[in-house]
Amino acid sequence: MDDSARRLLQRLIRRIPAQMLKTTLEKWGRLTAAQKQSMDFTEPKWAFTERLLDICEDNGWTGKHITELEMTYVIENPNQGMWYAFQLMDPEDDARSVELTHFKEQFKSHLSELARPVSVKIKKHADDAIWIRIAWGDSFSRPNHLKPTYVVHHLQTPYVFVTSLTSKQKPFLSQALVLSTRHQAIKDASLSGRKLGAIRDLLMRQYQQVFPTSYPSPLAERNGTVSNPQIEKEQAKSAENRLQMACEAFGDGMLPQLQSSVYKLETKFKDHTNKTMTEREEPFRCVVKFASTNLLESLRHCASSGIASTPVTPLLSSIPLKGRNYFVIKDNGPGPSSQTRQTQN
Amino acid sequence: MSCEGVLSHLSRLEVQARSRKTQPQQRSRVTELKAAAEQLRMQREQLRGGGGDAQGGYDAIETRQGQGLCLSLPTAYDGVFLETYNLEIDVKPTPRIVRHNIPPFIPLSDLVEQSDMQTDLRTFLDTLSQHLNAFSGRKQQLKLLKELHKSVEVMESNALCSILVMMVTVPKEKTAVLCTLDYTDHTRCLPTRVHFECNGKLLADSPDWDKIRSLLLETPVHKALSDIRTMGNIV
Repeated sequence: MDDSARRLLQRLIRRIPAQMLKTTLEKWGRLTAAQKQSMDFTEPKWAFTERLLDICEDNGWTGKHITELEMTYVIENPNQGMWYAFQLMDPEDDARSVELTHFKEQFKSHLSELARPVSVKIKKHADDAIWIRIAWGDSFSRPNHLKPTYVVHHLQTPYVFVTSLTSKQKPFLSQALVLSTRHQAIKDASLSGRKLGAIRDLLMRQYQQVFPTSYPSPLAERNGTVSNPQIEKEQAKSAENRLQMACEAFGDGMLPQLQSSVYKLETKFKDHTNKTMTEREEPFRCVVKFASTNLLESLRHCASSGIASTPVTPLLSSIPLKGRNYFVIKDNGPGPSSQTRQTQN
Repeated sequence: MSCEGVLSHLSRLEVQARSRKTQPQQRSRVTELKAAAEQLRMQREQLRGGGGDAQGGYDAIETRQGQGLCLSLPTAYDGVFLETYNLEIDVKPTPRIVRHNIPPFIPLSDLVEQSDMQTDLRTFLDTLSQHLNAFSGRKQQLKLLKELHKSVEVMESNALCSILVMMVTVPKEKTAVLCTLDYTDHTRCLPTRVHFECNGKLLADSPDWDKIRSLLLETPVHKALSDIRTMGNIV
């Protein structure tokens, strides 16, 4: 095993929390029962790494196997770093019949042509998700396996989720995705978060949405546990209405966990008491950010408790409705949906 | 017990049934008949075409002081109720969908473009319902296939359930055969094409495999596999 592979393994074992080492190696599936027995998961990581390196040497494994292990770990624990959503646009006629083998071949071939040298690994997960790991190189160096980009895509859906992509790498990835999925363009979906599952559920509508029905609302019944029949809630009806509207705007039950929502304002300053600001020609630029461990849950609670007025303002309800958490607000309404953002450098 | 209590109780039960992740045990005759009745009703609506309450069968209710219309599209397969999908439509100035919980691999925007929601909303709803029911049906077949046939390995499937690749074992030679089912018509629950591969090559035609192919083309996959196993062709 060469130096870079050794370094990769050392870095990886350092990164994986001690309590997850066993399950990760198990999922990797490369160690024999005997080898697994010989590993001591209680010893310090540096010693553990040495033992694992020995096994790798014995088996003649290379960097390829280590990247496989890394991918196994990341697929099981994707919530590290920021994930960004992209949307494929204008499908060709045969976009609906793109199947896995074809996609894999096409993606690898297109990306290699566009961004030589590049190391691509594609794996299909049980839940129809295609995971792609990309190590980028340039004319002076081999692919850098220490800073890979990860991409997740479900075929026949327009969404792609990406983490650790630089603005230099973005055009190559975009082109490769567009060509291999038979679409004409790809745009930034203006949605990002630390939890892959959350942004995916939001876009794929995998959470409990509430629609007006002809039946009396079961929500109030469920939530309004009457402790004592002698107690009468004065504003039960309006509380019920607020709850209904909050749930219709955000959903019921467990909501996808978003961490923030950002509004970039480019609107004219409006305050009659402040003539200096109001008289300025240019719009007043400011950024408003809402942050929370569970933003949608917090907003729903704001609406149902009356802190935020109901019906819920479109500025907030657009987050789940449009599946985005970055908005540009101009005076003549919210900005175009394909507002691009600066990706990390 | 007041009227309100009973209605709320019933709707609470319905919400529970809807929100349960696993399918409720619904093998009772009454529920089977209800699902069959629903499917027949939907077919009847399709045959009727136009006239009267255009949204019959979709539980249409008005929202936002008559500006909006909320529709419910239930799906069912083989006597079992599956997912219900919803659409909220803004009626003025021209009908457009403002909210829905339809998965992104169902070509909703294509269907909207292909139909005139203003004059013939029902055709749009019927076509959409066809796609959704077919998808639910295929998804259900895949679920049953995995449950009932543990000896068959599902090698590939996708979110739309429009492709299914399974590995089956032939008892005599103990060879593995890869069966690919292409569901290219997304409004149907049955595949349009079936082919077999063994050791990387397409299998030659033989009466046995032709029989298996017709079974897979004409019967839901989980049932077809049961029949094929009974015939002794696969393990």
